[in-house]
Amino acid sequence: MQFDNRYKYALAIALPIVVLMLALAAGEQWINPFSANSTLNQTILWELRLPRILTAFAVGGLLALAGAWFQVLLGNPLAEPYILGVAGSSAVGAVFSLMLLPDSAWAMSAGAFIGAWVGITVVMLFSSQGPSKLLLSGVVLAAFWAALVALLLAILPEKRLGMALAWMMGDLSSSVIPVQALLIGWAVALGCGLVLARSLDTLLLGETHARALGVDVARLRRRLLWVASAATAIAVTAAGTIGFVGLVIPHMMRILFGTLHRGLLPASAIGGGILLVLADTGARMVIAPAELPVGVITALIGVPLFLWLLVRRI
Amino acid sequence: MTVILGPNGVGKSTLLLALAGLHKISGGSLLFDEEPLQNFSHQQLAEKISWQGTLPPSEFGLKVSDRLALAMRDVLESSGSYWDICRMLDIDHLQKRALGELSSGERQRVELAAVLLRDRDILLLDEPVAHLDLKHQASFLSMMQKLTAAGKSVLVVLHDVQQAVSIADDVLMIFDDGRVECGSAETVMSAVRLSKLFDTEITESGEGPNRLMIPNYFINNPQEK
Repeated sequence: MQFDNRYKYALAIALPIVVLMLALAAGEQWINPFSANSTLNQTILWELRLPRILTAFAVGGLLALAGAWFQVLLGNPLAEPYILGVAGSSAVGAVFSLMLLPDSAWAMSAGAFIGAWVGITVVMLFSSQGPSKLLLSGVVLAAFWAALVALLLAILPEKRLGMALAWMMGDLSSSVIPVQALLIGWAVALGCGLVLARSLDTLLLGETHARALGVDVARLRRRLLWVASAATAIAVTAAGTIGFVGLVIPHMMRILFGTLHRGLLPASAIGGGILLVLADTGARMVIAPAELPVGVITALIGVPLFLWLLVRRI
Repeated sequence: MTVILGPNGVGKSTLLLALAGLHKISGGSLLFDEEPLQNFSHQQLAEKISWQGTLPPSEFGLKVSDRLALAMRDVLESSGSYWDICRMLDIDHLQKRALGELSSGERQRVELAAVLLRDRDILLLDEPVAHLDLKHQASFLSMMQKLTAAGKSVLVVLHDVQQAVSIADDVLMIFDDGRVECGSAETVMSAVRLSKLFDTEITESGEGPNRLMIPNYFINNPQEK
């Protein structure tokens, strides 16, 4: 069930705009974005909702891109952005800084960012070992980081426990990375992906066949690992651990737009953004005025969707 | 056309991989136009060599047309021959199917199309006719003979001694103990040598183009014994 080219482009442009408008309008209070007359409504729309929606879009897109890359890089359809333990290591960083430093949102983000790169650096040491060993070392490292997080949570002062747990389920409300920077990051990541798209495609044939087609697989692998890790690190720093977007979106987009990356990557970057915007809008509304962690919604949508995909396709 | 023969696990595929620059050799040296093979980049080798080997199963639902497009990613010539090649291998109707849905024989035909579409001067083929039905075996091997006549170098691993006898110009035999014999097909291919090579009795009959090589197993059907 693949779309015609015309529909593809129309959909890629129209759907994000519609979803964006919908997310802007929706909330505890419905506001028509085209006729927000009071200053209060203006403030809610453009200073509260819009940055958050765009943050969700960029983070979702980055996660989906990273997922698509890791799946090809590791030759494993079950790979996702956190597969190499980057979420775990950044959680360690976030919780650790929450324990030591007073000011919370900034400290957590800084800790998460440093933690992400510590995790990436450790896993890079195994990158020359080939996909299956890299995958294994990532999974084992993830277990290690999870144990560290459990240890830190056990000794964390009780009043900060809630913050830590909220961060670990994904939290778009307290991103300290400016939304403009996130959108630039999204565009740069997509650009890098498109530059590498043609060589990336050959990896679908396996490493030996890719090299037989003249691709420098080792170099491609390194570059891919860097961009995928960087995208994951930015996403996790901005919004904490949000599961399933990176796993589900690339698979959905493969079904809709095919396996080749010049179509798959833009589709994932946009589709991941849309899913996270929708999930975040849901998270804002379900138990308003309180908020659910967005990770709860993505998992609640993501798991059934993915199981359906599994039964249907693979 | 050179045919490589030998029992399983003796290093035929590894030899092809090494010749294509896809496998690091631990000793000895490989020369290409009198220059060491490792002086060439993958890209340079890919411009000269078309290698065919077993494609690992794709986890991502790659389509036949996509797979063939990948084979031609660095091929610049016109696509005029694309449909000719697909028709010759009877895969023109499979274009939109995923590789994973195809039968082994169909998949193999797609791989052969990929090799032919690359249109290089040197073809390294690892059991190209495995899984193929008789019709496609014959049409592909005669295609290889035509390409050889047109000046291409074809190096092919085969398991059927009769196929080897009928199409080989030269033969390279790799024995279990690492011993290697090579030479023109007429001189090297003998029932005695082949029997030793495969540790299986083989009978020879006829001469020249009518030469037949048949494992005794097929002549004296054990059920009749």
